[in-house]
Amino acid sequence: MAGSGTAHLRPDDEVLLRVEDLVVEFPAGRGRTVRAVSGVSFDLARGETLGIVGESGCGKSSAARALVQLPPPRSGSVRLDGLELTALRGEALRRTRRRLQMIFQDPISSLNPRRRVRDIVGEGPRVWQLPGDRVDEVLEAVGLDPATAAERRPHEFSGGQCQRISIARALILDPEVVICDEPVSALDVSVQAQILGLLEDLKDRYRLTLVFIAHDLAVVKNVSDRILVMYLGKVCELAPSADLISRPAHPYTRALIASIPGGGGLDLPPADTLISGEPPSPVDPPSGCRFRTRCPRAAPRCATEEPHIRQVGDDHWLACHFPVKE
Amino acid sequence: MRRRLGFGVWLAAGWIGLVLLAALLADFLPFARYDETLAGPPQSGPSAAHPFGTDGLGRDVLSRVVYGARVSLGVGLGAVLLGLGVGAPLGILAGYRRRATDAVIMAVNDVAQAFPALVFALAVVAFAGANLRNVLIVLGVLGVPSWVRLIRGATLSFAEREFVLAARVLGTRDRRILWREILPNVAVPAASYAFIGMAVVVVAEGSLAFLGLSVQAPTPTWGGLINEGRTLMETAPHVVLAPSVVMFLTVLSFNLVGDRLRALTDVREIGLEPVRAPAALPLPTPTHPVRDTLLQVEELRTHFVTPRGVVKAVDGVSFTLDRGRTLAIVGESGSGKSMLIRSVLGLLPGTSIRGGHVYLSGDDLTAYGPAEMRPVLGRRLGTVFQDPMTALNPVRTIGTQVMEPLRVHLRMSRRQARAEAVELLASVGIPDPVRMLRRYPHQLSGGMRQRVTIAMALSCRPDVLFADEPTTALDVTIQAQVLRLLHRLRAERDMAVVLVSHDLSVVAQWADEVIVMYAGKVVERGPAAEVFARPRMPYTESLLQAAPRLTDPVHHRLRVIPGRPPDLAHLPAGCAFHARCPYARERCELEPPPLSEDHHHPYACWYPRPGTTAEQDVRTTGADSRGR
Repeated sequence: MAGSGTAHLRPDDEVLLRVEDLVVEFPAGRGRTVRAVSGVSFDLARGETLGIVGESGCGKSSAARALVQLPPPRSGSVRLDGLELTALRGEALRRTRRRLQMIFQDPISSLNPRRRVRDIVGEGPRVWQLPGDRVDEVLEAVGLDPATAAERRPHEFSGGQCQRISIARALILDPEVVICDEPVSALDVSVQAQILGLLEDLKDRYRLTLVFIAHDLAVVKNVSDRILVMYLGKVCELAPSADLISRPAHPYTRALIASIPGGGGLDLPPADTLISGEPPSPVDPPSGCRFRTRCPRAAPRCATEEPHIRQVGDDHWLACHFPVKE
Repeated sequence: MRRRLGFGVWLAAGWIGLVLLAALLADFLPFARYDETLAGPPQSGPSAAHPFGTDGLGRDVLSRVVYGARVSLGVGLGAVLLGLGVGAPLGILAGYRRRATDAVIMAVNDVAQAFPALVFALAVVAFAGANLRNVLIVLGVLGVPSWVRLIRGATLSFAEREFVLAARVLGTRDRRILWREILPNVAVPAASYAFIGMAVVVVAEGSLAFLGLSVQAPTPTWGGLINEGRTLMETAPHVVLAPSVVMFLTVLSFNLVGDRLRALTDVREIGLEPVRAPAALPLPTPTHPVRDTLLQVEELRTHFVTPRGVVKAVDGVSFTLDRGRTLAIVGESGSGKSMLIRSVLGLLPGTSIRGGHVYLSGDDLTAYGPAEMRPVLGRRLGTVFQDPMTALNPVRTIGTQVMEPLRVHLRMSRRQARAEAVELLASVGIPDPVRMLRRYPHQLSGGMRQRVTIAMALSCRPDVLFADEPTTALDVTIQAQVLRLLHRLRAERDMAVVLVSHDLSVVAQWADEVIVMYAGKVVERGPAAEVFARPRMPYTESLLQAAPRLTDPVHHRLRVIPGRPPDLAHLPAGCAFHARCPYARERCELEPPPLSEDHHHPYACWYPRPGTTAEQDVRTTGADSRGR
């Protein structure tokens, strides 16, 4: 899995957000470096939902934060409608913030416990000195009653309601792209369904483009038009959602699907024959294809040569030397 | 809900207020001035005219103590404000900017803190002159390093929180983030520390004054008064006692209020906070036969008496479980599934009321005391919890932790226990188990840690293994490994497994029987394949349809269960689910439905679903192919 390369990117005029060769690194102490994201590229057309799926440590959240430049990536390019965000600093960068909003995993930690909901949601318009008070409108749009909710503080709400407040805070600025980082993984099944439904409604109503990050493939499939599978900071596979689930070509994608009880209706071999062991450390990733240490199909070539992303089907992209062909 | 501060804190705050008020209004109070000699007979004890008596020069001690409070509290307040004024901005800067700013500020701070504070104060005051201003400045400056440290720590903990990140994503400028997001959160710990700082400064000023290095006579200070009275200890103890007691009470009060404020720092509240133990009146249980089965739970109930009312966390749950079977308990958070396990194990806070019976091979565990329960837990009942890190001691090696139950419960020798531990670790799929014995929990991945806790739970060959969300904290590929392992071990060791999970697809694949819980009650029970294929209770049906499945089409609308689970302290009348149920009719609001008599697949519903099949097919494929 190696997944470097940019062959899968579409022409500039078709996309709203274009991410190229994104690299995110953190110091790991003792002079070592965590390579959280190593050369990941993807793009989003206007109105599209891109799902990013992978296990802990695959770099999906680091990539999300690099998109909003918090912190900026070590290298690579993030272009929003042609505007290169990584080249911006200070006030110029701040001025682009309205267009790119984010929703986080922990609904409680996402809200300042000492502020009222009206202030939390109204913070954006105040910062941008926008005319008119839209707090009530967006609270209603996310399914909260402004009359009872606006004057209360976050701890008076359940996890699902807190997530609605976070969504309202992001929406009030009319962003073009909303990055959802594991927005439903802290929620119960019934609440998760409510929030997923809400995101779909809001996407239509506010013409949003979404990056939806999660570890649960079923959740990602439910909301995404295309899915990007990541492993240890690299891209494995990118395909339209239905295609990815019904015809997974990358060994890791197949292992992910087979690990889900029920196996997604595919007749895959048992998960333990598709993946073994544990993910290696991102401080010292394997050479060549990073998945090779757990891959049943690995061959000597995988250790020496990093596979590049190439097309294997209609808008179906893959980074593997020995993909599964059906 | 208002938090309870407690009587002692109000008393302490009252005392601080009284001393402060007296010091402010000293000039208007009806007693002699502090320096008026022979206001009464010298060295006389407490009397109506002089409640604290008089000193050697016949001065009124009460008056001197009250005027002394001006100096003590004045220096305290001034020094604390000075420390806060200098320390808070530095601390916030260090905590928010991080990197170089932080490194420089903290390096200087550490050096400053290494100074022996009181010696430094003595030297400066002796050199620069003993007066109010110098004492205040010295004590204030000495407090700065602690303020920096405290404020930086508080700032750091909030600067990392996602709401600060969210504010930056909104485009909020740094100054506004500091002002709006961080300062209000840092204010509470700062206020708490201000009180404790007051106590420290009052004591320090007292010490200086006692040595004659604070404000000079005739202005009275508490330390000075104690010093003066020292010589009269034998003849007129009240002269030294009065200022000592007042100072002691004041310092104690500042500390008390400060500590209590710190305890309130946590904004979030735990909904289920048992406050007092009611008379241990076990809840009544109807008579029932004790069956010939491994585990029998009969009308188990766990209630908590809270200020909000009686919380019925587990309310009348019954089931039986045989060897070689897996029983799954499913439900959303707050449904009582974890509390049910803890009730069965008897691991409940002392303030709960438990009712009902738990029989393990015919022995009534609810009749056991803690001492009798100890050999049952671990030996006959094993447990695995969601977070393996909390189950493992971080400072002890894996080896000692796996060997401990073997040595304690099975009385093995060290050599035997070691050999057994290696075998156990190998059986849960840990590569190179001999090396593993010497490692510490933090050196392992989450999946490996969970394997270790499973090895520990299995070490004494329990009859029943209780696994509470054992794979929720793990990645999906690791989750499959761990579940497969549990399944294999169950067969190898002929034990029963109780699996608590919120993940219905996991349950469908690995459980034989399933209990669906809602608001502390069992609402449906039966063979897993059948419950998932043909749910009768609408709640089970909606749970199944609310969970996304890989086989659903893209952008498939999931079934939404409106509303929220009910408050366990104020359950609605009738069926607890009726307000969220699309099929509810009038009867559901009035009468709670009992669990139906059907022993194979009982459910609690007046208007059960017919049991559709088409939609849930995929779920059952998991249950059939459980060999995976």
